[in-house]
Amino acid sequence: MSGTILGLHGLRKSFGETEIIRGVDLELAAGERRALIGPNGAGKSTLFHLISGHLAPSAGTIAFDGLDITGQAPQRINRLGLARSFQITNVFPGLTVFENIRLAVLRQQPRPTAFWQRVDRLPGLREATEQLLERVRLQARAAALAGELSYSEQRSLEIAMTLASDPRLILLDEPMAGMSAEETDYTLALIRELTVGRALLIVEHDMDVVFSLADRISVLVYGQVIATGTPDEIRQHQGVREAYLGEEANAQVPA
Amino acid sequence: MMRTSTFLLLGASALLAAMPALLSAGLLNAAVQMLIAALFASAYGLLAGRAGMLSFGHAAYFGVGAFATVHAMNALNGAGLLPTPLLPLVGAGAGLAFGVVAGWFATQRSGTAFAMITLAIAELLHALAPQLKSLFGGESGISAMRMPAWGLSFGSTTQVYYLTLAWVLASLALLHFHTRTPAGRLTLGLRENAHRLRFLGYDVHRLGVSAFAISGLFSGIAGALQVLANEAANYVVFDAHVSASVVLNSYIGGVGVFLGPALGAALMSFFGYAVSDATQAWLLYQGVLFVIVMMFMPEGLVGLGATARHRVRVLGPARALPLLAAGMLAVLLLAGGTVFLVELLQRLCSQDYRALAATAGAWPPVTMFGRSWAAASAATWAWPAGLLLTGGALMAFARTRLLAREAQR
Repeated sequence: MSGTILGLHGLRKSFGETEIIRGVDLELAAGERRALIGPNGAGKSTLFHLISGHLAPSAGTIAFDGLDITGQAPQRINRLGLARSFQITNVFPGLTVFENIRLAVLRQQPRPTAFWQRVDRLPGLREATEQLLERVRLQARAAALAGELSYSEQRSLEIAMTLASDPRLILLDEPMAGMSAEETDYTLALIRELTVGRALLIVEHDMDVVFSLADRISVLVYGQVIATGTPDEIRQHQGVREAYLGEEANAQVPA
Repeated sequence: MMRTSTFLLLGASALLAAMPALLSAGLLNAAVQMLIAALFASAYGLLAGRAGMLSFGHAAYFGVGAFATVHAMNALNGAGLLPTPLLPLVGAGAGLAFGVVAGWFATQRSGTAFAMITLAIAELLHALAPQLKSLFGGESGISAMRMPAWGLSFGSTTQVYYLTLAWVLASLALLHFHTRTPAGRLTLGLRENAHRLRFLGYDVHRLGVSAFAISGLFSGIAGALQVLANEAANYVVFDAHVSASVVLNSYIGGVGVFLGPALGAALMSFFGYAVSDATQAWLLYQGVLFVIVMMFMPEGLVGLGATARHRVRVLGPARALPLLAAGMLAVLLLAGGTVFLVELLQRLCSQDYRALAATAGAWPPVTMFGRSWAAASAATWAWPAGLLLTGGALMAFARTRLLAREAQR
């Protein structure tokens, strides 16, 4: 864990009159697993959209590995080594699982948009695709259409696609939302295994997942980070308990 | 499977190559038009079927290819680096260049906005072309001569046919190759989920422009081939009905399968050729066919074949084939009834007939299908009614039996 992989400074985002992100400062160390928690409407997803380039901030800066990426296009940010998954499963439903992952892996090829060579002749592409399939344990489903997978299988596929670019920082937006307890355990193990050596920023409503996975936790309430610390520190933090944990204990249902 | 398709492909190519020996000159001309329509629809299928971008103005790229070629024919006179057989390269280049420019604008948006931009670009050309006489030749268009080259005169329909066939087959091969390339695979991703593609690190706009431009390139070749066949280009190639036909043809054939649009276009232009002399209602039939295909077989006619094969495999030939044959017969009866009705009504509603009826004070007989029919007689009207009723009943019977047999499994 050396150096800062992600730095947010004075980040703000307004939609019209409404300010959703109201001055967020956040530093993420390389290789760190960080959870971002907060009540519904705190701006967690918006923050993800800002970091990944889906939305441009109204003010403030975003630095990735020392590089200013504020307001850059998503594809540029992705190529720098920052990959994200989505809260709503975001795959290519009409294509096979194999093809889904292959399209993700293809991006790492020297000429990913070549129109003069056959895709099945590209060196290493099939191997890399199969390796990823195996890592998320979807080999048996390789020929199935992504749209026909079960929900947790789709999440696994989503994670595989996120990993395909071998990113240094992964943003996962509620990867366990809507999962059964079994599926949650399975996906948790998968995430733990796959993020070794990478920095992770995860938004999750399942507090068991958050406290067992994260090295540190940041609490976002009404567009501001009110606390950052180890799971123990957060558990003890008075302001967090009042603003969030007590309330969430009564409402474990994710958004 | 691979060997069957290779066999089929070779067989089809051999059949196409044998056409000049089998067909009269008139039919061979129609075959040239079918080939051109097939290539144009395949180019369109790349964009609409594979990239998921519904262009409503593809006549623009066809027409730009056509006019570039007619100018090249007149400027070069078949001499220099571009003898007659290589002229479609000019169409390809023009289609590509215009495709890049138009595509750059159009692919900024998707869905309805995209369709409207493509429509606007084609309409712009259609409105502008008659004004720019030097470029588009005004109302009368521009004509040119096919010059002899490579020891061939290109004076006979047979030679034009082979020239067209060679270009169409080569283009289809390239278009098929494109489906196997990284660019081709990404085109599918564009259709399925462009948003996800962006977050995988791809420049989605560039991918969209490239799919658009490649489609423009092959549309341009199709336009060039038409100019070579007709030795003329007229601004009516920019007409909205050219854009509409390629959409209808492609979807009637089925954009989900590589050869679907080509087969749809070949079929429809053949019918257009065969039927347009016999009836004034050809456009109506084309429209009705399109609506029926979209309602009952959104996969297109190619999908119909696949469904039939699937039924035969699931139920076994002995149980499926008679019902499928009954279904086919029902379709023929229904089609017959519809055609009878449409033709009869079209004759009865024509101005000539109404003038005749007004002077005679009664309904005079009409001539149809080579014989005369009494317009007011019940026997005449019983024909379409009988055909439609029998066809409908047979269809309902075949359908319920087929579903029942499937449910039994």
